[in-house]
Amino acid sequence: MIWRFIIKRILWMVPFLIAVSMVSFLLIQAPPGDYLTTYIAKLAESNEVMDQASINDLRQRFGLDQSIFVQYWKWISNIVLHGDFGMSFEWRQPVSQLIWERMALTLLLSMATLIFTWAVAFPIGVYSAVRKYSVGDYIATTLGFLGLATPNFLLALILMYIGVVYFGSDVGGLFSDPFKNAPWSWDKVVDLSRHLWLPVVVLGTGSTASLIRIMRANLLDELNKPYVDTARAKGLSEFRLIMKYPVRVALNPFVSTIGWVLPQLVSGAVVTAIVLSLPLSGPLMLQALMSQDMYLAGAFVLMLSSLTVIGMLISDILLVLLDPRVRYE
Amino acid sequence: MALVWRARRAKILSLAAAAALAPLAAWAYQEAPALDAAVKAGSLPAVDQRLPEHPDVITPHQAVGTYGGTLRRMLGGSNDHNSILRIIGPQGLTRWTPDFSDVVPNVAESWEVNADATEFTFHLRKGMKWSDGQPFNADDVMFFVDDLLNDKDFYPSAPGNYVVNGQRMTAEKIDDETVKFKFAAPYGLFVQMLATPLAQEPVLWAKHYCKQFLPKYNPDVQKLIAATPGVQDWPSLFRLKCGEVESPTRWGNPDRPVLDPWVTTKEAYTAGATRVVMDRNPYFWQVDTAGNQLPYIDHVAMGVAGDNQTVVLEAAAGHVDMQRRKLDALANKPVLAESADKGGYKFYTLDNAASDTMAIHFNLTDKDPVMRKALNDKNVRIALSLGIDRAEIIDIVYQGTGEPWQIGPKKSSPLYNDQLAHQFTQYDPDKANQMLDAEGFDKKDADGYRLMSDGRRFTFNVNYTGIEQPDWGDALEIIKEQWKKIGIELNATSVERSIYYSRGEANDYDFMVWNSPGGLDAYFDPRDFFPIHPQGSWQAIPWAKWYLSGGKDGEEPDASNKERLALYDQFKQTSDPAKQKEIFGKILQIAADQFEMIGISSAPPLYGVVNKKLGNVPDVIPASWMYPDPAPTLPQTYYWMK
Repeated sequence: MIWRFIIKRILWMVPFLIAVSMVSFLLIQAPPGDYLTTYIAKLAESNEVMDQASINDLRQRFGLDQSIFVQYWKWISNIVLHGDFGMSFEWRQPVSQLIWERMALTLLLSMATLIFTWAVAFPIGVYSAVRKYSVGDYIATTLGFLGLATPNFLLALILMYIGVVYFGSDVGGLFSDPFKNAPWSWDKVVDLSRHLWLPVVVLGTGSTASLIRIMRANLLDELNKPYVDTARAKGLSEFRLIMKYPVRVALNPFVSTIGWVLPQLVSGAVVTAIVLSLPLSGPLMLQALMSQDMYLAGAFVLMLSSLTVIGMLISDILLVLLDPRVRYE
Repeated sequence: MALVWRARRAKILSLAAAAALAPLAAWAYQEAPALDAAVKAGSLPAVDQRLPEHPDVITPHQAVGTYGGTLRRMLGGSNDHNSILRIIGPQGLTRWTPDFSDVVPNVAESWEVNADATEFTFHLRKGMKWSDGQPFNADDVMFFVDDLLNDKDFYPSAPGNYVVNGQRMTAEKIDDETVKFKFAAPYGLFVQMLATPLAQEPVLWAKHYCKQFLPKYNPDVQKLIAATPGVQDWPSLFRLKCGEVESPTRWGNPDRPVLDPWVTTKEAYTAGATRVVMDRNPYFWQVDTAGNQLPYIDHVAMGVAGDNQTVVLEAAAGHVDMQRRKLDALANKPVLAESADKGGYKFYTLDNAASDTMAIHFNLTDKDPVMRKALNDKNVRIALSLGIDRAEIIDIVYQGTGEPWQIGPKKSSPLYNDQLAHQFTQYDPDKANQMLDAEGFDKKDADGYRLMSDGRRFTFNVNYTGIEQPDWGDALEIIKEQWKKIGIELNATSVERSIYYSRGEANDYDFMVWNSPGGLDAYFDPRDFFPIHPQGSWQAIPWAKWYLSGGKDGEEPDASNKERLALYDQFKQTSDPAKQKEIFGKILQIAADQFEMIGISSAPPLYGVVNKKLGNVPDVIPASWMYPDPAPTLPQTYYWMK
């Protein structure tokens, strides 16, 4: 039953992804000019100039002088037939190389942020629901709203400024200089953990706050239901009672968050990552889109949509397993 | 010994240089302590064997330095490879003198030019080596000319630097250390061109390494192509592995042998790199006057930051040892000045090669015939110039730095033309009103704005790139008020830069605002004096296209511009500096008489930050793209003072 559901969903992905690839390719091409226009403009920032012959040469090399249909066909056929995502115009490097380099760290950071969010939001959410309108609830609520209202990148800038001005610490990044490009070792892991907390906190505050609110609201709905009173009347300890029944019901939104963790891998927290100079995929994708680096941007958008589909699938499956009331029809 | 340094101009033997170099040949050279271990272990030959017979002897700016340390800089997140080029230096056959006044031998030991400037004979340094220890000689240069430049697969259209009269440069190997370059017609600025930032191709590629990517030398190249993702043919494979002159891949492959003072390490400039580190080249071919092999500093380490504000923060924290790029905006100066003591740095000054901070390039080829007619009327342009109170703009927008200025070479340049620089810079709205009345714009609408010949209001709707240059927006707001007094309406909106360039390409604008180059580097960036630049000669882009395509594209220029372009052709074919100056002076005079665009303020000096302990950094450095600062001041001679 569940296998049929999964296979059906995977088959549906194919036409969906074809449509996405076309739309994204057209969208990337839609702004006026092409990669070389932005490149010339970029060089002009430092008053650097290229001669016209070299520009014509590049335009021809990148195939930008051909029609959009030819360009699309070249791109998609290479991906499908050879698994070759093409060459990034901007970096003049194979796209596949660029993307995987950044994926692992992005995955790590997203997971760390997710765990942080859950670890903070879950107990606080349960607490504020159970002790509604207590001092602790008010404090948690206030902090929650502050966290929700502060833009991540602003928080990042403030923390960085304090770090530089008062502590003279490193600005941003995930590693200290000696470890930046070093092979993985125990020291490097330690170094990473020293840097990781800042982006995790910065990225986590917003979603933590919203999860606290969701948890609190859902739990409040459940706490007054008759089955809770029944369980209490039967003498179940308060802790076991709350954890075993109402919390389990209120947990659904937590599981749903997994669905959007995967797409966030690619696109999440772009501004924060740029501000903190994090070597994640978000800034690379943004830059690729801005400079109309078609193959790189296209690969990212394709990846983003596939991950969204996969992430939704995973969270649907988990929901089904967790809550028997949810059914796949 | 008869070491002959033959200068391009007069073929006089430079006896002084020969005398200074001769004794060195007998000396043993010294090297950095960092290399001692490798030499003792036998994995690196002794320094005397690593240097060419006649290394390039550099007189340090202040003092003979000491070895060691790291030079720290910051790169932007993407497409910032030219920042690396600026510190490592474009090691071409020739280089600029630190004051940007002349070229001197660099990779080449000397050269000769024939009488009509069609043949250039370069003498290379005997015994010079690539960074992997393999010999560098004429074969490497011939590899570029024969196998790359003249290969239609590699260069469907060849770089303009090596094309004269539509024909690509050819070369002949005289012996292992001598190559003769040949052109179809005279090429007066060739040796200067070789000193510009994007002209290292003749000595960029090591044949022994790069030939493996050419089907001519490696019959199995197809296997390599198939094994490399993203690559479909050998030219792309070659460019990926061996780099090209203007691309991140030039700094992306640690295996590629180079002639640079510092070489790429595993921490190379590739996408996703958060730090780029370059190490000293043990085979670098320059020594100081005491016989110490350069560079002094062991490593160059460059952080990568996607956001310019991060670069400023790093500089304020004292993590940047020498840099102006990405932090030289006027608005950053107070922040940086405040932290200067704590960060241990000071400012150095850059003599801006640009002429004017902001020039209004009227579109002489405007699509709108009424506007075109108005803009081609010199008296209208004069009136618009007289209608601007430059002192007010300079006070409010540019903090009082700069003087009222049109365009053209600076006072310190030998090409300075007072008329071009200063004509019509006085503020005289009454005269401007009279002139506009006289030119037929005497009818006004209810709001007091003048009407054009078809009854439309005389309005400029223009764009500027406000994100990068907020000062242009401020200045345009002031000009809007000032022009209102002479009955001209101005509406300016900020757009993103690539849209700005698309407008330019489409010839869809009344005027464009950009700074005006050519203050110190007029020979190499004359785009404001005649239409030569297909993206930057905003005054008439279709005319530039006409000229560059030999009349196939674009529009035919007016008589005056054609005259200037003809003079420029003549200029390019002249090798005598006095004659070059004379012809270029004529071009500038015509440009001054035509008065095609108006400027606001002379470009004030730029600034950069430099660590207080970094020695041999000049206090004032020219800033230009053609002089890719600070490279010609030879960062390999910078050192850490004790």
